[in-house]
Amino acid sequence: MSQAVVSVNAGMLLPVLAPAVGAAVVLVTDVVVQRLRRAHYVIALVSLLVGAAATISGLGLGRVAGEARRTLCLPGGGQCMYVADSVGSTLQLAALLAAALTLLLSWPDDKLESPGGTAVIVSLVLAATAGASAVAGARDLGTWLVAIELATLPTVALVALRGARSAISGAVALLTASLVSFGLLALSAALWFTATGSGFLSPIAALGVVGDPARRPILVLAVVVVIAGIGFKLSLVPFHAWTPEAYDGAPLPIAAFLAGVSKIAALAALLVVIRAIAPLGAPPLAAMAIVSAVSMTLGNVMALRQDGVVRLLAWSTVAQAGWVVLPLAAVSSAAVHASGAYLLAYVLATLLAFAVIAALVQTRGAARARDLAQYQGLLRDHPVLASALGLALLSLAGLPPGILGLVAKVAALRPVVDSELWWLAVVAAANAVLGVAVYLRWLLTVISTPDAPEESPASSAPVAPHGAVPVAVRAVRVHTATLVAVGLTAVALVLTSLSPEILVGMLGS
Amino acid sequence: MILLIAALMIPALTGTALIVSGRAGSPSAEGNANTLSLVASVLTAALVIATVISRPVLDQSWLPSLGIRLHFAVDGISAPLLILTAALSVAVVVHARSRPPHGGSPATFYGCLQLVELGALATFLARDAVIFYVAFEVVLVPMWVLISRYGDSHDLAARADASGRFVLYTVFGSTLMLVGILALVQASGTANLDALASAHGEGLARHTQIIIAALLLVGMGIKVPIWPLHTWLPPAHTIAPTAGSVMLAAVLLKMGTYGIVRLVIAPLPVGFGALAPAFGVLGVVGIIWGGLACLVENDLKRLIAYSSVAHMGFVVLGLSSGTTVGLQAALFANIAHGVVSALLFFLVGGLKERWGSADLATARAALREVSPRLGFALVVGFAASLGLPGLVGFWGEFLAMYSAWNPAPDRPRLLMRVLVVVAVIGAGVAAAYSLRVLRLIWSGDRTTPAHEDAHGCEWSVLAVLVSAVLVLGVAPGLVLSSTFKDVAAITAEVSR
Repeated sequence: MSQAVVSVNAGMLLPVLAPAVGAAVVLVTDVVVQRLRRAHYVIALVSLLVGAAATISGLGLGRVAGEARRTLCLPGGGQCMYVADSVGSTLQLAALLAAALTLLLSWPDDKLESPGGTAVIVSLVLAATAGASAVAGARDLGTWLVAIELATLPTVALVALRGARSAISGAVALLTASLVSFGLLALSAALWFTATGSGFLSPIAALGVVGDPARRPILVLAVVVVIAGIGFKLSLVPFHAWTPEAYDGAPLPIAAFLAGVSKIAALAALLVVIRAIAPLGAPPLAAMAIVSAVSMTLGNVMALRQDGVVRLLAWSTVAQAGWVVLPLAAVSSAAVHASGAYLLAYVLATLLAFAVIAALVQTRGAARARDLAQYQGLLRDHPVLASALGLALLSLAGLPPGILGLVAKVAALRPVVDSELWWLAVVAAANAVLGVAVYLRWLLTVISTPDAPEESPASSAPVAPHGAVPVAVRAVRVHTATLVAVGLTAVALVLTSLSPEILVGMLGS
Repeated sequence: MILLIAALMIPALTGTALIVSGRAGSPSAEGNANTLSLVASVLTAALVIATVISRPVLDQSWLPSLGIRLHFAVDGISAPLLILTAALSVAVVVHARSRPPHGGSPATFYGCLQLVELGALATFLARDAVIFYVAFEVVLVPMWVLISRYGDSHDLAARADASGRFVLYTVFGSTLMLVGILALVQASGTANLDALASAHGEGLARHTQIIIAALLLVGMGIKVPIWPLHTWLPPAHTIAPTAGSVMLAAVLLKMGTYGIVRLVIAPLPVGFGALAPAFGVLGVVGIIWGGLACLVENDLKRLIAYSSVAHMGFVVLGLSSGTTVGLQAALFANIAHGVVSALLFFLVGGLKERWGSADLATARAALREVSPRLGFALVVGFAASLGLPGLVGFWGEFLAMYSAWNPAPDRPRLLMRVLVVVAVIGAGVAAAYSLRVLRLIWSGDRTTPAHEDAHGCEWSVLAVLVSAVLVLGVAPGLVLSSTFKDVAAITAEVSR
């Protein structure tokens, strides 16, 4: 009797399965044929793109509230463990594409790297991406918990893999944060089950608790603990301390992965819970308002004081995480969409910034590309890269021509204003100013010309380690894959700025 | 509709093209950039005039998920501001032919000017509250680049400080304005400015109106600027290049007052009525404060910046009266200040380049001796600035005081009359500082160190602005008749 069996629709699960299978294929290939490098990346890109294509069927859903496709359903028309709707599918798509971009940034260079490591890197990236993709669809406590950890633990290894001292300390910070976070999330899962008696993260489960004064506080506590647990992953203050360490210690593409895919996974996990507790109303979300206000403020203030661009982006992540959860302080389905839209705008702009830094690492050397002061005169030396960076920074600041960032800000503020949280709106306005100061400080360096004209950038750029090349006049060329990454992200940012509906509309309305 | 799209697309495309392409650095690049942006701004000006005459409407869905529409149109209130913007955009490019920019690639300079024009035109054209906010923000980054890269080359730190202060103050103001706009849209259920204006705040509770109006007034008050939110203005004007100062004073400040008419006075009459007395008091404090600062200020550019604060005080006084005459006065004073401050900043920018500084304490050749054209234009500019009858500055200030003497019935009459008395004293101070400046740099017998007089492009720009001062001073009806019908539609309900 098929009645007793959970229904499975493999096509719907493809966004999760494709990267997972890709990871396995990469590892198997590495065993069978050794000393491959590019092949791993190609396999990974293909699996990510297959997964991305599979999300498209879910994107159109959600025009009607509650419309979704479900699978892994319990027999007899029961609840389902996996749901694809417009919000979840959009976040999956973003995670898969962001992972593909990370791979482009870390594309192996023939000369510099020793062979063999790529299979590990690629399979870890794919595994974490599979976790990110799974958490967006998960609707039961077990899958949700496992998927969150699957999205997190591989990143610890990715950060540590470089082996440098700073990488290890970054990885330790990240690992500690993940463990505490996992503990909190497990506790919240237990509390959820205690309160609702259901293993499903669904509004139906929460609805039964609303009228019950004994169980309601437990559910509220569960949600507050979730906010703390996810706060670690999203780098919300006061759970943010690992962020600058890990970003700065990790290789650049991995930092981009942490800023992109990991944040998408974290928000996806949070949104699953937020949507499930919609019947509960406002109380747990007061915590969200406070966390959001504090994150924005501290993140921006600290970002203003940074002299390294990666650390600046790390603190900017903290501030932007505050903006991401800002709309969630209000209870409405618009808030969930606004939060998703803000996250996507942030991820797109941040990935572009990271891609430009990666390109600069290749031409100017890591030390120069990571130091804010060395960005002086960039507009003169690398006009195209500087323009792309400028667009990314202005999008993060939310100023035209980065209209996507501006629209995201409008979307994020709207639910807050609608629920008349005036104090929060004013804090957000003040932080818009601080944010502008953060990003314009960088941009001012980029557009200003050094007083004493330096030598041409090529001759002062550090040459590769064995660099006794006599004609070191030409700068080291940027790898084509990196240029493709910069180009694709920049085009995506320009298009979505001209017509933000492309991005905002995907989330549904 | 094609006209409207083209009027916005030309500055957008020219500006982007100039900024992206123009880093060649060859000597011919500067001429090319100037010619290209001259052609673009003349074309834009022609299109703007055509749109003002034919009044097309563009209403296009842009962001359906958030209910934001690309809605642009022209009415009597925005028409004079559109023409002012387009005309001054041509003027700054022509003027820069005589006085080229320093400090960086000329293509970027002209590109930024085009983008400032785009933002200003879009702001005055917008009929959707959120699009209004987006357009309001478009001017920020280009103006920031103009100040921080092409400003006064003497002091790098001062440039960074002035440009940073400009952008941060304005962003804070516009974000508060955004909060206000979102609240207004949420409360009244539409983002369409025409619908908001014709609803006259029906169905909005008094306290809601007051909260929203307060947010919007503080937000846009920074841009106007209203005392005590004006402190960004003097450094920005002092440091900015001539073209930047002109656009800042003559166009960007107008966006604030225009926004107050559109977003506060029209849709929130009750809320504005409650706040109007305080608003008027701040305006009058600005008149006195700016005037007194001008009496002692020794930097000529900074002096004109402070006089802007005083002039905008009269605009605020007119707005707070709540009558048709008061709104008319405010809108006219807006245009008048645009023309006069543009004239003065062109003059002073030119003088600063000739003198090497704008310090009034240094003994210099008297303008009437060595450069009679500059001297004549300066006399006309300051005479208009002090509100001499027959020149453009007179009507706005006179009507503003007249309207505040007879304010709308719900305004405290005694307070408004006290404000008028103080404003009259402020007008007297304006006369004093204007004559002080003329005495210091125009009159006298010194002929050394000599400097060249204005000629060519510089003189033609000054001559056109001088004639605008005279023509609008003799025939203010040109502007007042344009705005009358739409202003009457707003205040008909206010004074009910």
